[in-house]
Parts: sequence; C-alpha cells; structure tokens
Amino acid sequence: MILQAENVTKFFGGLAALKGVSFGIEEGEILGLIGPNGAGKTTLFNVLSGFFRPDQGRVVFADETVSHLKAPQRCRIGLVRTFQVVKPFGNLTVLQNVMVGSFLRTADPGLARERALEAMELVGLSGRRDTAAKSLTISDRKRLEVARALATRPRLLLLDEVMAGLNPTELVQMLDLLKRIRGQGVTLLVIEHIMAAIMTISERLLVLHHGEKIAEGAPRDVAGDKRVVEAYLGEEYLLA
Amino acid sequence: MSVTIRSEGSMFSAYRFIPRSSLYVLAGLAVLGAVIAFTVKDKFYLHVLIMMLFYASISSAWNIVGGFAGQLSLGHAAFFGIGAYTSTLLFINLGVSPWIGMVIGGALATLVAGAIGYPSFRLRGPFFTLVTIAFAEVLRILTLYAHDFTKGSIGISVPFRPAVGNFIFRQVSAYVYVALAFLAITVLVSLWIENSRLGYYLAAIREDEDAAQALGIDAARYKLVAVLISGFLTALGGTFYAQYIFYIEPFQTFSLDFSVLLAMMAIIGGLGTVWGPVAGAFLVTPLQELLQAQLGGELQGLHLVVYGTVLIVVVILLPQGIIPSIAAWGKRTFGQREARPAASPKGDA
Repeated sequence: MILQAENVTKFFGGLAALKGVSFGIEEGEILGLIGPNGAGKTTLFNVLSGFFRPDQGRVVFADETVSHLKAPQRCRIGLVRTFQVVKPFGNLTVLQNVMVGSFLRTADPGLARERALEAMELVGLSGRRDTAAKSLTISDRKRLEVARALATRPRLLLLDEVMAGLNPTELVQMLDLLKRIRGQGVTLLVIEHIMAAIMTISERLLVLHHGEKIAEGAPRDVAGDKRVVEAYLGEEYLLA
Repeated sequence: MSVTIRSEGSMFSAYRFIPRSSLYVLAGLAVLGAVIAFTVKDKFYLHVLIMMLFYASISSAWNIVGGFAGQLSLGHAAFFGIGAYTSTLLFINLGVSPWIGMVIGGALATLVAGAIGYPSFRLRGPFFTLVTIAFAEVLRILTLYAHDFTKGSIGISVPFRPAVGNFIFRQVSAYVYVALAFLAITVLVSLWIENSRLGYYLAAIREDEDAAQALGIDAARYKLVAVLISGFLTALGGTFYAQYIFYIEPFQTFSLDFSVLLAMMAIIGGLGTVWGPVAGAFLVTPLQELLQAQLGGELQGLHLVVYGTVLIVVVILLPQGIIPSIAAWGKRTFGQREARPAASPKGDA
C-alpha cells in the first residue's frame, strides 16, 4: 500500500463533507474516484494532499503518517496533486511553469530546465515552450498542470478532473498520457466524471456519495452496483 | 523512480543563466555614469545623477520582495532608516567607520525584516503591507522618543570629515562611483535571484500561492528570504543617503512617502522585472528634481501638479510598466523570443 486513508472525516461547520472514508492504493495502480457533484471527491483530495486537515482519521503515505504534514512537505515525499480548476502561473512561460516543478529536486537551473523539457515532451507541450501559460487552450492548460506535477517526480499523483472539457481526440491523448505516466512507475488516483474514460483506465474504482464510500472494487462490479447506479450513474447507464 | 529529497546540482550555477545582454547594459551604465562623473562639473546635474542611481538601487531592493515575490511593502523606510541611523550613530558616538556601520545596519534591518515577515507571511491578504507601514511608524516614533540618543526631531548632522574610511568625500563625483557600485550590487543580486530557483519560486508564489504549495514550495519561507535580502540592501542605501546628504531626521527618513515612492518607481518601470525599478527611478527622479528646481519657486505646488500629471499619463499609456512594454514592443517588431514575463500590478491571470 502506497497510500492509506483511515476513517477520514472532515466537517465544514455542521456539514460532514467526508464521513469515515477508508481505502488504500497499491503501488503502481490506477484508482478511479467517482461520485456525484458534492460527494466530497475534491475535499478528499484536499485532505490527502495536505490542503485540509482531517477532523478525524489519518492519512498514511509510504508507511508514514502524513496527516500532520502540510502540502509542500507532502509534495516533497512524493504525494502530489493537481487542481480541478487549473492554476497555471499565468505570466510565466510554459517552460518556466514546469521548471518551478522540477526545481523541487534540484537547485541547479540547468538540470531543472532539462527535466522540465523531459516532462513537457512526455505530455506533448514541447511546441509551446515559450508561450505564456495564460494564453494556452484549456487542453494545454490541463497538460501543463500534469507536466508541472510530474516534474516534481511524484510517487503518487492525484489528478482532479484532468479530462473535463477535452474533446474526444484530446481525451484519447490524455488517457494515453496517463498510461505512460503509470508506465514510469507513478501511482495514480484519478477523479473523473467521464465514465467511459475512467472505466477503461482504472484497475479499481472508488465511489463517494454524500461524503461516504458507497462502493469500491473492479470497474465492472462497481458499475453494476445498485447503490452506485442509484446515486450516480442513473438507470440509463445500466441499459446502455 | 527515485525519491531523493536531497537536491542535486548547485544553486550557484544560476549565474550561468543571467542573460549576457543584462550584463552589457549594466556595464554600459557603469561606463556612462563614470564618464559623466568625470566630465560634468555642474554640482546640480551630478546630484541628479546620484539621486537617480540611489533611487534605482533601493527601488531594485524593494522590488525583490514587492515585485519578485509580489508582497507589497509600504514600509521600506523602516529598513532605510535603520541603515541611516545605525551607521550614523555608530560613527558619531563610537567613531566606527560608516563602511562597517553600513553592514551592521544591514544586519539590524535584516533582523527587523524577519520580525515583520515571519508572522505576517503566514497569513494571506494585506497583513504584510499593514505590518510594514506600522513598523516604519513605530520606528519613527521611537526615534523621536529616544531623543537623548537620536537627537529626536532635531535630527543628526554628519560631521564633514572627508576620508575614504569615513565614507565622506570632498568630490561630489566620488559619490557617483559609490552609487554606481551600489546599483551594480542590487542589480546583480536581482539578476541572480531572477535566474535561480529562488526567483522561480517567488514568481510562482506571486502568481498562485496554492499551486506553488502543491509543487512543494514553502511559500512563507521563500517570501521571508525575499524580505530579508530586500531589507538588507535597503539599509545599505540608508547609510549612503546619510553619508551623502550629511543630515538625517526621523520625519523624512521613516516617511510613508518615501516607501510609496520606492514602490511607485518599480511599478512605473515594471513590477517584478530586474530593469523595471531602474527605468522607473531614471524617469521619476530627474523629473522630480528638475521640476522642483525649475518650477519650485513659481507657483506653490506647481511642480507637484506637473509631476502627478506625467505619472498619470505614463501609467495610462504603459499600464504594465516601461520595461515590459518595451519588451512586448520588441517582440512584436522583431519577433524575438518572449522576454521574461512581468508581474501585473493587478495580479490578474
């Protein structure tokens, strides 16, 4: 297990955004995280990546309790997230954006640059090297978000809806990219609403609903689960 | 995939990435300044030149935290005043050379910068700005209060005892060389920061602090480093000012106007760029000095009206600042590689 969440609970005032969520991720797997809007997916990401502190429960990463660590420290031990609403450093170029990521493992600008270029090559942003990040298309912004995170050399990458808003061609490219990232030994936890995409890429699925885990398992089993269909997929999905 | 936490490579190799063109500009400025100092005998024009170099230096120092890190300080007069008072009091009371006093003042200002930055950078929002203003005010009041020690509102005159070791020169031109050296130091430090990891991290924090944190950047720590460097360099300027003007007093040394002026020069020239504060100071300082000399005796306040009008026009025509506008124009005209993007004063994405 590279990551374990144990009984993670998070309140916003009186509202429980997460209620006793427990699960684990094996090293090298792709785990999909699905659920309706407001289910607590992004809140779970915030707790796992250190932006929120859980009110109860703990997060264990690589056999170490990390619940007390802040986001930068978790990033340093290899637990890195992207944002659903992408956050490019708008006035910096693509290369500079990715170098901010690669500077985590080296203070040498030459080395940082080399590694940033590698990450850009992997996600297919090499042609946009000197473009200001604010003038990228949404699809390129998503790639940039991934490239920057990759440049920090993560062990576990939390991807928050990197496929939303992409056209079918871009979607296929992104799926291919995620497989290549996994091929490099990075474990992935992926939030996604596009079922076709998440079903093909994930080894396992985790379903949240009203802050609770309602199902976990192989995509086929989860998609047939009655509670999941009721809460998220809807009857049409079963028939289709 | 390795998970080495230790950094590889050297942070000092950043100097290799400093653009040659910037070094040529700096060398050109140094030569030009030296030639003017050598040939021009008119004391007023030399004074204008010295003030240009002086403001360019401390506005550059301000820019390290205000521009690179995007943390608006409106209390850099605090660091400036600490530098001026420390070296002057040490010189007058203990006979310590202002050259040494300058370094001690810088160290003290660094401590104060830490006291300001450490608590306020943990918070987001206007807290840092408010704390800087408050600190400058408190220091001014303390200086007035401790009048046995600081001579209060009477101020301190630096005795005219020319000697290199005393940081006092008979020739006005000598101050040009010192100011040039000071500008060279602040610009080189800025260039190094801009091209090193520190500069990239500060830019990231300025652009989006959450995204920076997610990439492993301890934002509070790097902002603190920026204000420490900035405070130190600003204090050096305080000593220079005291040794050149020969008189310091709390109302002017710790004034909010002075802090705002530093910020304004950097914003006009191009916030967060190395050459922005220099360009801003080179535009604003002569304007201020010449208008005051030419119009100061005419209608009361007329020079300020003209001065304000010119600044408004510059900000309307070049909202990004002088240097980014020139860079954008150069890119459009010659299709060169994109210049390093500047921070937008509005902080939009």
